[in-house]
Amino acid sequence: MPDQAFEGTADTAGGARTAPPAVRVQGLWKRFGEQIAVAGIDLELPAGKFIGLVGPNGAGKTTTLSMVTGLLRPDQGTVEVAGHDVWRDPVAVKSRIGVLPEGLRLFERLSGRELLGYSGRLRGLPGAEVDKRAAQLLDVLDLAGSQHKLVVDYSTGMRKKIGLAAALLHNPEVLFLDEPFEGVDPVSAQTIRGVLERYTASGATVVFSSHVMELVESLCDWVAVMAAGRIRAQGTLAEVRGGATSLQNAFLELVGAGGRSAGDSLDWLGGGTR
Amino acid sequence: MTATSPKASAASPSASALTPVFVRLKLSLLRNGLRQSGGRRAAYITSAVLVLLFAALQLLGLILLHGTEHAATLAVLVVALMAVGWTVMPLFFPSGDETLDPTRLVMLPLRPQPLVGALLVASLVGIGPLFTLCLIVGSAIAVARGTGAALTAVAAVPLALLVCLALARAVAAANTRLLTSRKGRDLAVLSGLVIAVGIQFVNFGAQRLGSSGGLSALDPAANVVRWLPPASAIGAVASVGEGAYGRAAVQLLLSAGALGLLLYAWQRSLVKLMTTPDGSTLAASDASRKESTGKGLAALLPEGRTGTVMLRTLRYAWRDPKTKAAWITSLAIGLIVPVFNALQGNGTVYFACFATGMLGVQMYNQFGQDTSAFWMVLQTISSTRDAYLELRARALALLLVTLPYTLLVAAVTAGMLGDWAKLPEVIGLALSLLGAMLATGSVASATLAYSIPQDSRKNVAPGQGGIAALSIFGGMVSGAVLCAPMIALAIWLHVSGHHGSLWLLLPLGAAYGALLCWAGLKVAAPRTAARLPEILTAVSSG
Repeated sequence: MPDQAFEGTADTAGGARTAPPAVRVQGLWKRFGEQIAVAGIDLELPAGKFIGLVGPNGAGKTTTLSMVTGLLRPDQGTVEVAGHDVWRDPVAVKSRIGVLPEGLRLFERLSGRELLGYSGRLRGLPGAEVDKRAAQLLDVLDLAGSQHKLVVDYSTGMRKKIGLAAALLHNPEVLFLDEPFEGVDPVSAQTIRGVLERYTASGATVVFSSHVMELVESLCDWVAVMAAGRIRAQGTLAEVRGGATSLQNAFLELVGAGGRSAGDSLDWLGGGTR
Repeated sequence: MTATSPKASAASPSASALTPVFVRLKLSLLRNGLRQSGGRRAAYITSAVLVLLFAALQLLGLILLHGTEHAATLAVLVVALMAVGWTVMPLFFPSGDETLDPTRLVMLPLRPQPLVGALLVASLVGIGPLFTLCLIVGSAIAVARGTGAALTAVAAVPLALLVCLALARAVAAANTRLLTSRKGRDLAVLSGLVIAVGIQFVNFGAQRLGSSGGLSALDPAANVVRWLPPASAIGAVASVGEGAYGRAAVQLLLSAGALGLLLYAWQRSLVKLMTTPDGSTLAASDASRKESTGKGLAALLPEGRTGTVMLRTLRYAWRDPKTKAAWITSLAIGLIVPVFNALQGNGTVYFACFATGMLGVQMYNQFGQDTSAFWMVLQTISSTRDAYLELRARALALLLVTLPYTLLVAAVTAGMLGDWAKLPEVIGLALSLLGAMLATGSVASATLAYSIPQDSRKNVAPGQGGIAALSIFGGMVSGAVLCAPMIALAIWLHVSGHHGSLWLLLPLGAAYGALLCWAGLKVAAPRTAARLPEILTAVSSG
């Protein structure tokens, strides 16, 4: 499987700077007690692409994204975003990234609109600009009708959308989304998708994690496959898919879960007798 | 059987088959709850032992009352109090008993009547019912005179207990909609506050009662209460002892009728709950919330991070039930202690500092109050300067409430005691205390953050009790130490007779407090900036 290098991966020594990768991860480790969540991964995610980080539950996707976005301190290894070290140069990195984590709360006792106002102003944007952008984002994301409702009363899909709006407000270069489509209804998912596609078309990078292969296959140009804390493959969609008929099959092969079936053990299931 | 019950199917079990299942379910839930952690088990066993000890003492006390003049008065009031407790309890502890939530049983093929019977029997299991039983038995013994009364008690005691339990169940079922909605959970969190403030009033009331003639003051109340179920069951026991058999019969029937009515009401709400759509789909209907609580006032706050953070902090103080409960408790107790002490004539103006101390505690664990939403703050702090501004804004938001409140409490206390001369020095001391609390609070927020679970009534996540205690008590002790120079100065001025210079404590205290606060923020800011991921981990476990 191609764990390959692609053209223009790094600053060429001393020469003209080619665009640095959106994210470069080297030797990243994280342990929680006995358990190794991330076991020394190297990743190089090209800028301007729609990138999917896929893997089964517990593969270490969330842990990896948390370390890349500065939410969790790695035990070892370096992370660079747009050429800046996340832990040594937080000023440069934090203004360039937008984050939508999974499993962390928002300030839910603010209304959707207040949340955006709060988030944008904390990032140092002028108040009038924040309000203008917030109004447009609420509109595009179909939240204008519930902008004065408290986020605590939002549905899962609405939460993801308001989280996405907060992550986009300061127009980041790289957007990190952890399971942005988890628990989201098809209409909201389509809205989120539309916004993200428009955003990457302008040259920005989206990195998102998911375990829904069909979704990743239909959205991403570039895929990294993770399992048990390691990167099993990374490259363009075609490269990772290789000879398999679908990303799903390629993935099952990669993580060694193909061909498992229930066999005879559930022979009572179905049929007429109770 | 009600008309809404489904077509009888062969699988629908009878009450006698269902009851043991539910009793076992209740026991398993209890056991599994205890299995989760050693701390929880220890806490449960400790509280069980304490409750049972208390119950035993009450029982003994009530038995000793047997035959005394006010026995009947006290007995019916005790039972009535228990009934009130059982009525209110499900509103405050909605998660206390999972079998209370009938929506969990909705998919099972159960008929309402056997279900109600089985649930009622299952709810007899637990410390609460045992405690209640002790008190009811005690009350019955206290008033029972003669064999007839004793025989009546055999019926009256279980009757009173069942009425208590049915009350709790009926109230819980009727309010399940509310209790499982967000508003209901908010209400439950605020209940701690009702209890905290209530205790102050009970304490005050008891002192008043003690000073004004004792138990005979309660007789008129008891004369009414002994007709009210379930206290009327105990009233019946007393009536039989006095030979008033007719009255006894009516009282007993009243309790029995109440039990029947409660069971009927409970069954009806159960059927309704299980056959209509879930409340969560209807709940969020306050879409008409108007644009923020005061755009005008918010505009007065400074631009940039300072104003933004202050506004968010103040909104949370009003809208977040945990934060609101903490604030109101602090505000109420901060006022009650000096004022009640002044009312009782043993107060001093210095007690006004109590209010300052109570409010200063709000500065502790600032980031824990954010819960895991702290990640949003984390993403915007990239330098010590950002961290300083963030902490300073939070301190300023606190000051916006604390400063006027301190002045108010000091003035009210001084006014009630007629001791205006002490006002300047008290305010000076209070301000230096406030500065010290804000300083130690911000350092503690940076170094000793812990989670505040949002959905339970606890204020500390399991396993972080040590950090929380260290944070608050360590902070309060060091706050007091930091204030020591001002306190020493005040004492010296008093002892050496420089009463004319005591007013100096006001400007000195204010300046000293401000200095402490500034220094505390300066110490806390780099620690916050350097420990952001660690703080996030610490505050995310709730």
